[in-house]
Amino acid sequence: MITKKALPRRTFLRGVGTAVALPFLDAMVPALASAKNAKPPVRMAFVYVPNGIIMQGWNPDYEGQLNELPRILKPMEPFRQDITLLGNLTHNTGRALLDGAGDHGRCCASYLTGVQPRKSVTDIKAGVSFDQIVANQVGRQTRFPSLELGMEDARQAGDCDSRYSCAYTNNLAWRSESEPLPPILDPRALFERLFGNGVTMTPEARARENFYRRSILDFVSDDTHQLENNLGPTDRRKLDEYLSSIRAVELQIQKAEKDNAQIDPHMDKPYGTPADFAEHFRLMTDMMTIAFQSDLTRVITFLVTHEGTSRPYREIDIADGHHPLTHHRNHPDLIEKVTQINSYHVTQFAAWIAKVKAIREGDGSLLDNCMIVYGAGLSDGNRHLHEDLPTLVAGRGGSHFKPGRRIVYRKETPMCNLFLAMMDRMGVHVEHFGDSTGRLDVLDLA
Amino acid sequence: MFPGAKPAVGVLFDSAMRRIDDVLALAMLHAYGGKGQARTAAVGVSCPDLEAAQFCDSLWAFYAGAATCTAAKAMHPPPVGLADGKPAARLPMLSQPLGKRGADGQPVYPNTIQSIEDTAEVPTLFRNALMAQYDQDAVIVLSGPATNLVQLLDMYGAKDWIMRKVRLLSVTGVGVESDAAAAQKLFAEWPTPIAMAGREIGDALPFPGEAIEKDFAWTTADPVVDAYCAYRPMPYDAPSYAMAAMLYAVHPNDGYFKLSGSGNPRQLVLDPTQKDRIVGAYVELASAKPVPRKPKHPAEEEKKNPPLAAH
Repeated sequence: MITKKALPRRTFLRGVGTAVALPFLDAMVPALASAKNAKPPVRMAFVYVPNGIIMQGWNPDYEGQLNELPRILKPMEPFRQDITLLGNLTHNTGRALLDGAGDHGRCCASYLTGVQPRKSVTDIKAGVSFDQIVANQVGRQTRFPSLELGMEDARQAGDCDSRYSCAYTNNLAWRSESEPLPPILDPRALFERLFGNGVTMTPEARARENFYRRSILDFVSDDTHQLENNLGPTDRRKLDEYLSSIRAVELQIQKAEKDNAQIDPHMDKPYGTPADFAEHFRLMTDMMTIAFQSDLTRVITFLVTHEGTSRPYREIDIADGHHPLTHHRNHPDLIEKVTQINSYHVTQFAAWIAKVKAIREGDGSLLDNCMIVYGAGLSDGNRHLHEDLPTLVAGRGGSHFKPGRRIVYRKETPMCNLFLAMMDRMGVHVEHFGDSTGRLDVLDLA
Repeated sequence: MFPGAKPAVGVLFDSAMRRIDDVLALAMLHAYGGKGQARTAAVGVSCPDLEAAQFCDSLWAFYAGAATCTAAKAMHPPPVGLADGKPAARLPMLSQPLGKRGADGQPVYPNTIQSIEDTAEVPTLFRNALMAQYDQDAVIVLSGPATNLVQLLDMYGAKDWIMRKVRLLSVTGVGVESDAAAAQKLFAEWPTPIAMAGREIGDALPFPGEAIEKDFAWTTADPVVDAYCAYRPMPYDAPSYAMAAMLYAVHPNDGYFKLSGSGNPRQLVLDPTQKDRIVGAYVELASAKPVPRKPKHPAEEEKKNPPLAAH
């Protein structure tokens, strides 16, 4: 029997201290609804990598249809038709503009705000970041207006780059011109934020809970069974896959916690953070997938590691710090190591994109309804250049973008022009942002 | 320069690059850079001719001491602004020097511009350049239609930057008259003093053609010389409209010119006693030897100004 009654989009599986949002199910679409009403929402995410990129390994030597990708982008080959590479976008406000040294502090602070940050260790000032403008408008429709995530060092005070506060190098999102939004680094904290009642437990309290229960899903099992009885086979399979993905994340976090406790119970590190970079990245992005899939939020910023980081990458046998390596002075061995770090980051990103693409949503994939920007606030980290910023957009922004291309704009084209175009796709219309001079054209399907 | 002192005035040069005096004025600007009397803050071309942008880029490479395209790229040349529009007819003044090849078959005057994507929109370039100048430490020299500057005026927030950073707009009469509507809007809305070098100024102070053979003898390959020779059959003297505007912009208080009347714009007035001095300055600057630039590395600046906290 066909009915017009549909499962509400904002349905949660509830249990004690638990609220698990659902992915987009067929049952949420009224049988006779118009296609327009059934359209999944558009989401956007920013994945920021620090210290620039070896641009010879990033920029193809051609424009138009994407063919063979350069070395650093090789992991994205399977998704060639899902990505757009944008060339020559510039953040003028990341440049010195009379403020001297401190490109790392400036480029990160200006990346999403589009303004020149005040050079100060204590009296910080940047601007409202564009993700927060979007979050303020569309965030009312989701449980979390936005999520701010990262993987390293969330210090908010102190001098992190030539008298620029750590608040500039360690945050992407800014709620106001003086209030950055520090990223969540700990997968456990993120998990509890997504599925809990908003309270992050102490390790002791968590250990007590773990002793009595196996999974957060146990708490919602009654709701789950009840819902399953009312779903068709396709939705039942979708729900099963979705809950399995949550369980997989939960198990990974528990494993990390167990490993960390064995290594050093007193370690100064978030309790559920895996020691391995790739594993940490996977955990965070898996939860980003779930957050998008279940429409918990439509806006995510992910500061992979903080700007100016000197993190070594022993996972790939690079013991030197990332930042010192980027000042390679054209030494081939050092360039090679930075290239490997850049490739390693893109490899993790590609693995995430594969998962986002694999999730069916509406008539396409979850990726089709996303705009996921992967980029950096510097292009050449050796010379601290703020032009031709490496910028990759994955997804179609809800059938707005025509990916599979490399588009090179004219030099000095403001990055903020991309943000204006993205805001449009998110349904937020403003005339100016940062140093924008107009909307980025050519991105559209037309 | 003493620590904390303002650097030399930053010059934004916007020309059509259709006359030889535009080329000579740009050469003057680079020479000023070598002498530390002015800095090239930005160069824009108001005529949609890719070769004009390429020529400006090659002139930068020449004065920077970059002998090959690879060397020029490694020195990270500043972007050249170029107006949009239907491509203009090629000019021998530009195409001949650009097409000149050495014995190795490589361009004698390399440039790094291959397509319009390698250039910038002039208003954006100028706005960005102004943001990097000290307050009241920039001048704009306009030797072409006012189209680009009117677009800059209309750009959101740019007028504030102009008021804050620019102390003078120096224009050529023969340039702005090619777009009367834009000139009218410019003169009505431009927020800083404007000085105009009328046609009579440039005509009365021609650049001497004989200097091309005499004063450039220090080199066998100079793009300015090749452009001059290709512009018209030699020998000839060239009116100096853009050069006059450039000279006044950099040295407004050095007595080269007087200003007439009041209001905005004010006209440059020639003092006949200054004629030889002015032409001498033209020749000296346009024929000056390049002073190769030393690339500045951010890591060097970090050494002087180190981060307090190590990551």
